[in-house]
Amino acid sequence: MSTETGRAGERTLFGHSLRRLILYLVLLGMGAFYLIPIETGLMTSIISPGTYSGNLPYLPPLEPLVSGTGAFSLEPWRGALDGLGQGLVNSVILVVPATILSGLLGSMAAFGLTTISWRGQIGIYILFVAGIFIPYQAVLVPLTQFWYNIVPLRSMFEPLAALPLVETYHWKLLALIITHTAYGLPICTLLFRAHYKKLSDEMVEAAQLDGASIATIYRRIILPLSIPMFAVVFIYQFTQIWNDLLFALTIVQFGDAAVVTQELVGIGVSQSGTNFPLRMAAALLAALPTLLVYIFFGDKFAKGVAA
Amino acid sequence: MAELTLDDVTKVFTEDDGNEITAVDEVSIDIEDGEFLVLVGPSGCGKSTTLRMIAGLETITTGEIRLAGGRINEKPPAGRDIAMVFQSYALYPHMTVRENMSFGLEESTEMSDDEIESTVADTADLMEIEELLDRKPSDLSGGQQQRVALGRAIVRAPEAFLMDEPLSNLDAKLRATMRTELQRIQDNLDVTTVYVTHDQTEAMTMGDRIAILNDGVLQQVGTPLECYHTPNNRFVAGFIGDPSMNFFEMAVDGETLVIDRFEYPLKPAQQDAIRNRSNVVFGIRPEDIRIKEPGGLSDNYQFEVTVDVVEPRGDENTIHLTFDRSVDDPVTFTATVSGLRDISAGDEVTATFPPDSIHLFDTDSGVAVHNRTFNAENATKQIL
Repeated sequence: MSTETGRAGERTLFGHSLRRLILYLVLLGMGAFYLIPIETGLMTSIISPGTYSGNLPYLPPLEPLVSGTGAFSLEPWRGALDGLGQGLVNSVILVVPATILSGLLGSMAAFGLTTISWRGQIGIYILFVAGIFIPYQAVLVPLTQFWYNIVPLRSMFEPLAALPLVETYHWKLLALIITHTAYGLPICTLLFRAHYKKLSDEMVEAAQLDGASIATIYRRIILPLSIPMFAVVFIYQFTQIWNDLLFALTIVQFGDAAVVTQELVGIGVSQSGTNFPLRMAAALLAALPTLLVYIFFGDKFAKGVAA
Repeated sequence: MAELTLDDVTKVFTEDDGNEITAVDEVSIDIEDGEFLVLVGPSGCGKSTTLRMIAGLETITTGEIRLAGGRINEKPPAGRDIAMVFQSYALYPHMTVRENMSFGLEESTEMSDDEIESTVADTADLMEIEELLDRKPSDLSGGQQQRVALGRAIVRAPEAFLMDEPLSNLDAKLRATMRTELQRIQDNLDVTTVYVTHDQTEAMTMGDRIAILNDGVLQQVGTPLECYHTPNNRFVAGFIGDPSMNFFEMAVDGETLVIDRFEYPLKPAQQDAIRNRSNVVFGIRPEDIRIKEPGGLSDNYQFEVTVDVVEPRGDENTIHLTFDRSVDDPVTFTATVSGLRDISAGDEVTATFPPDSIHLFDTDSGVAVHNRTFNAENATKQIL
């Protein structure tokens, strides 16, 4: 060990200062702290359920080399894909339109409330802000009443079910799309408004003098300049809607239209016990889309947050 | 190209608490076809509001604005056939220079893509920005952005140009160059132009005529020399010209004006102008004051003064003079002399206030009651 005295009593070890070494150790510890649960889940999900013992779940399945770690198998993932397949499809049918709609409508609302000035816009904006603070619990009963008793969406949807790929139960997903769009609209509007306030008024005025109508200003000037904010809103809304269980339970309740979060609740649980490898594989599978969204749009997200 | 008329144009803003603020008060200006009018005044004087009313970005409370004889009060900005250059340039940041310049043509005309392409190319050629056409505004320097903003206005060949302090974000050197260039372009295109600035140098050097605004009220409209030599009132006299005109508040004593430090005899015409007044504001421009070696006062227009501070500018020096340095609140005034003259602080000199160069203003209203001898035609002839 080469220990020399640097400046002001700073000790060095293999060229690194002690302070730096401690920093790395702490970072390593924090990394492990965050990653071990995920690593454990991943390892559990590739253990053959029959050989899963519950001991050392964080070790890779190395049986028969190491006893007690279980045998490698992709069976849990196959089971998860089978069990969640319908739910994954339903969730995609729900999340993609709901995310795009709430983002697009939020951006349009923010444009109308910020860039264009008209009498009474503050009052309308306050209603939007108030919308953010309505608790989910308060709207559950009205939502059920609304979609099952007040709006005859089911019978209105019937003719559409004749179209290819459309099923009768999709009306529940449509109800869910509308609900999530409406519920996400205030926060989307708020985010876009903050962004539009920073855009130059003179630029919009220049476009007006150039002969552009309000619709054209939105389409050709504001929309292209909103792309970073769309990344933020899309990631946020995608995660929110994909992970939502409460509205799905309220509106879909049960049946063919169940989304992935609903199916995740029951998978791998039976009277004979809990199938941990299957549950872990299903949980990872259900979380995968949000993870992919972050990976693919992460850089745009960062840009939008910094904007 | 068309004449632009402002007829008793007034703008009243109502604040949230119901207070009414008159930003522009019955301003009437006739701007001729192809004229370059500079709207100048201190910040908050209503010059930008006036421009925005012409553009249609601000409603007109009362009065009328006519372009080529037709009322445009109710027309939306897009329908006025007016182009504006903004202080911030207001370029579309996501579009290339070419797209920035095409945008207005695409939105406001029926031109084909080919025609737009060639019009943009011609304007880019005129503005010497061809090599920038495929760049985004963020890749351009301030001066280049300025040119693009001008090009975007020019390309539409509007009836009138409005410019809101377009040069104020440039450094001093570039500003001087662009001033000349803007004048040359305006002269070539011969488009009616209203140019807003707070900088009296820009107003003096660029305008065919200048209109001076203060507190929303039009003070004077005239050629730069008229406004400089025959100001309507004390505000115009003090605003136009750098360094500013010297003012002394003086008491009238028969045929002379009196202040603690000096007395000034008046000529008969000047006496007529201030008849029945007990007070008057005496004004004289720094360059009209003659400075020479001390001693031997030959007439009553000469005074012995002391040099307080010298500000060398190279071509000329601005010197601050005082009648009596030793008192606590000395009466000081400025004079300009040739940059080659060797004058330093503390020197005793003789200052002459030539009687045909003085201005007299009413003490309360500031209205000019007597202006220096100035014959516009003679002045122009001498220059030619």
